[in-house]
Amino acid sequence: MKITDTIRRAGRSLKQAKARTLLTSLAIGVGAFTITLSLAGGQGGRDYADAIVNSNTDVKELTVTKAVEESAAVAEYVEDGAGTATGPFAAAQGLEYITADDLADIEKIDKVERVTPNYAPSVDYITTEGQKKYQATVSTFSPSVTLTYAAGSVEGDLKNDQIVLTEEYAKALGFENTADAIGKTVSIGVTKLATLYTTQDKKEFNFVVKGVSSASGLAFRSQSSQLVTNDAAKDMYTYINEGTPVFNKFFLVAVEVADASDAESVKQALVDDGYDAQTAADVLGTVNTFINVLLGVLLGFGALAVLTSIFGIINTQYISVLERTQQIGLMKALGMSRRDVGRLFKYEAAWIGFLGGAIGSGVAFIAGTIANPYISDALGLDTISLLIFQPAQFVIIIVGLMLVSVGAGILPARKASKLDPIEALRTE
Amino acid sequence: MIEVTHVTKTYGKKQNAFLALDDVSFKIPTGTTVAILGKSGSGKSTLMHAMSGLDRPEKGSVIIDGENILTLKQKAVDAFRASKMSFIFQSFFIQPRETCYDNVSLPLEIAEVPLAERRKKVDAALAAVELSDKKRSRAGDLSGGQKQRLAIARAIVNEPKILFADEPTGNLDSVTGGVVEDFLFNYSKTNNATLIIVTHDPDLAKKCDAQIEIKDGKVSAIRGLQTGAKK
Repeated sequence: MKITDTIRRAGRSLKQAKARTLLTSLAIGVGAFTITLSLAGGQGGRDYADAIVNSNTDVKELTVTKAVEESAAVAEYVEDGAGTATGPFAAAQGLEYITADDLADIEKIDKVERVTPNYAPSVDYITTEGQKKYQATVSTFSPSVTLTYAAGSVEGDLKNDQIVLTEEYAKALGFENTADAIGKTVSIGVTKLATLYTTQDKKEFNFVVKGVSSASGLAFRSQSSQLVTNDAAKDMYTYINEGTPVFNKFFLVAVEVADASDAESVKQALVDDGYDAQTAADVLGTVNTFINVLLGVLLGFGALAVLTSIFGIINTQYISVLERTQQIGLMKALGMSRRDVGRLFKYEAAWIGFLGGAIGSGVAFIAGTIANPYISDALGLDTISLLIFQPAQFVIIIVGLMLVSVGAGILPARKASKLDPIEALRTE
Repeated sequence: MIEVTHVTKTYGKKQNAFLALDDVSFKIPTGTTVAILGKSGSGKSTLMHAMSGLDRPEKGSVIIDGENILTLKQKAVDAFRASKMSFIFQSFFIQPRETCYDNVSLPLEIAEVPLAERRKKVDAALAAVELSDKKRSRAGDLSGGQKQRLAIARAIVNEPKILFADEPTGNLDSVTGGVVEDFLFNYSKTNNATLIIVTHDPDLAKKCDAQIEIKDGKVSAIRGLQTGAKK
């Protein structure tokens, strides 16, 4: 029997048992649905992570911390030990500071362009004329971090007397709208820590608002921070921390290399020197590992559904063989070979797999397409889709499920092919 | 020419062994209509199965056109049946949910006849049994006589040289049965095909050129044929 004829007969047999076929394929469809959605979610998640990392990090930049050996978790107490973290926070984290000496060392490493400590001045408040004082955090502006602006914008680098406010602060500080804030002056108040218990030295730094950033699904840092230049942050940091034991000691420094391709070699050099360094690729890798684990769990559920449906297919096909004993007997009497009889039942199983795969992934596609805007909306992702469907995935899923179904159909098909035509055609 | 020689078939083992066919021999010339007569359980159906290669007797040979089908491989026997033989059964065994066309087309699909030729042959076979107007009807909707005519169409569509009919009129009244008989004899005559009818109806048997009577697995009488081997 020709394969096309066998496929057609297989399809027709299924059509004659519509309800049973549909129910069996729905079981496999649940698996297809789960797998399609988790693959789409995985793709969307990876793309999203990619977008976040790309718009928040610079491929030429490495984030460097001091490497802490395992044994250092229980460190011996050293009186005024240089380079050892002081304060309960640092000690608990087992972190060590990067000192000025370290900075000089790092700078000497080949291909290192610039070493920038992460100045995060703990400012007291932000205010503007005639307004209340609000608590705020200040971070450094980086041209490589993509920001979404509600008003104004920063082309290239920020100037030292300029600031980028967040939308919430622009509103809190009493500006009529975000555009109104542009060009206005805001003040940031700081306190000198070394004199905290004595004279209470205080100072206000003034900045001109250059831009107002809006919340973006892609921003993962500085979303609630006001942004100033590195130099301005350094000025405030110096004013606050000068004279304390932790002055010019950093948990985190950014190392910029000459070219993105140097990132790996510089990282190796840093690690050899006793630092921990993360490239943009490392950050992405960490995020992707997390996504992949999540994806694996979802795929596991899908696989479980498929596994369950395998037994459904075996069961359905066995019943089909029993029901159609006479038909099988007749076909054999008419000279149909064992192989062709087996094939007929395997193709029926393949049809079930095809139907299930098509229904499951089709419903997943429709549901995903409808839900996508709502998901993006709920998570504040703007135009980013968290579910990305690829045509190739559908093909792979459907073909894969067809193969699984054929596998499930092997036993019933074998039973059919071994059927004795004389027994099958006995009328009594 | 079909030569059946010393065919012996046993069912069961040792003490329970039951001799279904006991040293059966005869020769049927091409184009003859033969009735195999016998009561139920006499072994007449087993004989038909052996002659068509559906069953494999442990002894003897069935030589059709010079080839012993009992020594052929399964695949070759299947191909042999697909191209040279066909069957009609008492309970029709048509596929009630398929159309008449699809029912008749099955043997051609099995024999891998090309599609265009298939269409012509199916139309011709349906016309031969006067069912052309039912081509697209569900086979299950036909009356009993029409069903058996459909079964005949399916049996003759690939122009077999040997046609086996197992109690072809057993489920039909005498009028429709008569019509079905006419179609069978007609086909045999016009195509010079051998027709072997298994029946316990003496009237039907009389219409055949020859009769083989089976009793307890043995040939008890042969009329109109020469015996295949000397006893």
